[in-house]
Amino acid sequence: MPTRDLTLAMIGSGGDGVVTMGEMMAQAGARDGLNVIKVEAYGPQIRGGESSCTLRMSAEPISAQGDAVDVLVVFNWADFTRFKGEVVPKADAVILYEAADSTPISDVVIPAAEKATWIPVPFIELATKATGTKAAKNIVTLGILAELFGIPPESVRKAVEFKFGKKKAGVLEANLKGFIAGREFAQSLGIDVSARRLEYTVTAPKLVMTGNEACAVAALHAGCRFFAGYPITPSSEVLHFLSEWLPRSGGRIVQTEDELSALGAIIGGSFAGVKSMTSTSGPGLSLMAEMLGLASMAEIPTVILDVQRGGPSTGLPTKSEQSDLYLAVFGSHGDMPRIVLAPTDVEDCFHATVDAFNIAEETQLPVIILSDQAIGQSRQTVEKANLVHEVIDRRTPNAEELADYKRYAQTPTGVSPMSAPGTQGGIYQTNGLEHDETARPASSHVMHEKMSRKRFKKLEFVEEKYPLFVHLGPERADIGIVCWGSSKGPVEEAMKELAARGVSVSAFVPRIIMPFPKKALLEYMASVKTLVFIEVNFVGQLYHYLRTIVDLPAGTRVFSRSGGMNLSVTEVKSRIESVLSEAGAREEVTA
Amino acid sequence: MSSVVETPALPRFQPGDYKSDLKPVWCAGCGDFGVVSAMYRAMAELQLEPWNTVVVSGIGCSSRLPGYVEAYGFNSVHGRALPIATGIKVAKPELNVVAVGGDGDGLAIGGNHFLHASRRNLDIFYVLMDNEIYGLTKGQAAPTTPTGDKTKSTYFGNPEPSVDPCELAISFGATWVARGFSGDMKSLVDLMVAGMSHHGFAFLNVMSPCVTWRGDDQFKVMKAKLRSLPEGYDRHNRSAAFSFTRETDVLTTGVLYEAHEPSLLDRLEAQRTKAMVGYEGLTTEQVLKVFNPPF
Repeated sequence: MPTRDLTLAMIGSGGDGVVTMGEMMAQAGARDGLNVIKVEAYGPQIRGGESSCTLRMSAEPISAQGDAVDVLVVFNWADFTRFKGEVVPKADAVILYEAADSTPISDVVIPAAEKATWIPVPFIELATKATGTKAAKNIVTLGILAELFGIPPESVRKAVEFKFGKKKAGVLEANLKGFIAGREFAQSLGIDVSARRLEYTVTAPKLVMTGNEACAVAALHAGCRFFAGYPITPSSEVLHFLSEWLPRSGGRIVQTEDELSALGAIIGGSFAGVKSMTSTSGPGLSLMAEMLGLASMAEIPTVILDVQRGGPSTGLPTKSEQSDLYLAVFGSHGDMPRIVLAPTDVEDCFHATVDAFNIAEETQLPVIILSDQAIGQSRQTVEKANLVHEVIDRRTPNAEELADYKRYAQTPTGVSPMSAPGTQGGIYQTNGLEHDETARPASSHVMHEKMSRKRFKKLEFVEEKYPLFVHLGPERADIGIVCWGSSKGPVEEAMKELAARGVSVSAFVPRIIMPFPKKALLEYMASVKTLVFIEVNFVGQLYHYLRTIVDLPAGTRVFSRSGGMNLSVTEVKSRIESVLSEAGAREEVTA
Repeated sequence: MSSVVETPALPRFQPGDYKSDLKPVWCAGCGDFGVVSAMYRAMAELQLEPWNTVVVSGIGCSSRLPGYVEAYGFNSVHGRALPIATGIKVAKPELNVVAVGGDGDGLAIGGNHFLHASRRNLDIFYVLMDNEIYGLTKGQAAPTTPTGDKTKSTYFGNPEPSVDPCELAISFGATWVARGFSGDMKSLVDLMVAGMSHHGFAFLNVMSPCVTWRGDDQFKVMKAKLRSLPEGYDRHNRSAAFSFTRETDVLTTGVLYEAHEPSLLDRLEAQRTKAMVGYEGLTTEQVLKVFNPPF
């Protein structure tokens, strides 16, 4: 019986074209309306070195990258060993490998794949014969995969035509020959892999984008017209995208000398009346701690995207971790209100970013978006129709307010009308010093208390208007998972499998971390018997943070481990199973 | 700078119109009084509209200055006046942007920003009030404190060599670099008018004595060293300008260097104008097209 959900993993060295091949298949799938999630991994080399590409294609909605691989393509076993533990084939996977690889196949041990179908393929020989160069072996592979696994051959062929159509004469023809050679080779094998054949009905094409790109488009959508940033993995794509599209939109962009300048510049831009944003990763957010306090104190709307990576310090620059929560929630000195949002997937990156601008403008607070590498750099299909979100603009003072303008006037919500330079009658001199309603420096403890209350008041408005969270699964359940950010995908998929086996499980996924949707959490806690936190950071940052807000029930479990490898569906399942069987795990913490 | 109004027959703004009603926190005799007074006069001479002008600073005694000017103002955090000024200018180029601060603020904690603001050559007028000491924190050595000087933080004398801010500004790519003295009002106003009118990053180092932490002598010593640029000096000669930096026995005031180079905004605007062709009224829908499968 054919499948509606297929995960392929391809591993090779730089020059093997693994990443290009994955991209072409992802685009082909998206064209046919399939749901696609593509994740790449690299060695530490700047160029060349080992690379892997995992591609999941499904006719059904999916929310996590495939972590149980149906089809594995290995150009080089030496490279495969470098991804040990990251790329795990299913027991009955189909494994295609280079027949001419110097590693004897008897030396290759993949314990998980005990019932696998092993197919040696002369990739290099096929490519050289058909096209005259071994460089085309990824195109030959595309032909083989298209033929064997029902990956839309017509669409893949179009991808090949698109890829090589603009190259000089003969290149496209050669590659098409390679593609055909691959298909013919697959036919000649005469093997039955029909259980791994993708079967689906073609639907409308979908968009393919990364979380970082979704954030960048959302910024444009929200009316961002000034961006300042400093290059940093894994968030630079936002800077790249906006360097092209912000000028086209009539905006401006500056690459600053460091991250604190980037936040400083957008504080300036926003002070001047222009919606402004910066993006960074953990090390950059550390530097921005100083400027965060200024934005909060001077009440200047700012949007800061943090695409988290492994930390502390330089940490694991290319790999995901959810370990900047403490910094985002508590970072910077003094009592400092700020907003922290946490998108859960690529599509949600769009919504979180527009929300960030809306909340920033409504409350004149810094808003941090905690994305992570697993979302920021993974490519997923998105329905264009879902990328719609209302945009809210800044409240500027009216004539009456300008008659006796007070920049930091006390109001019921704590939000005061903000005039921008250029406005006659709206002149004020803001500062990072404590100040009175007219922005004049004031160091009395009475004024400090009064103005602190005003600034924190704004959080109440946000908690009321933006209790952003997702409840997955049944209304009442035995097991209640609490997770955030990119962990939502694997949790959601694991829940489907667990529910199918009769396990009573639900999940609470906050999309806003500060102010936390406390009321919703309390209601959720009452709907489950055992609360289980699942986080990709060593100490369980969300769990500990929530303990400062609510009394978590006794018996709450915390499964938190360092990043470096994305959370997998298998892992979530085994965690929940261990709770069910009451087997204590090493990482377990009991409240 | 932009938004400069032609001087009408009857000036619309008098120097006093730029004075806010906030009383300065500076000590009696502080050189910064001269600087802010010169600024009121220079702004009046250029008839800058207060609501189209922003004065930005970091932290320090001199960084309190924006509060004393009737214009939009931003007294930010230590060393960061220039990144904020950069954002204001790039986001809203029609504003007149003035950045001010002290030697510790601009050369120590903010030194990196000084380099990059200079090379970007935005239309920002940056006034560095140089008293060769940290005043607000009560008398520690700064990057411009002469070697050997005893300060609160250098009990046995300052062991570090000092820097000349003008030399740095020229090296960093500032296109207008001048040195002034807070006790010479007339020249200071002239320098400020010229600096504010310059197209590009204009840097004015004002020797501004600190009576509290450098003693009554500092004013006298500085004044005694003052010297004008020689007759016929060519301020467009970059290498000649360096010969009036790192001076020890004299203090040369005037415009040491001037060049005419495109500003960052000139380049950004040229790129933007080109980039917008065919994308007028760009919608989210249009941007999303790049994410359609391309075939």
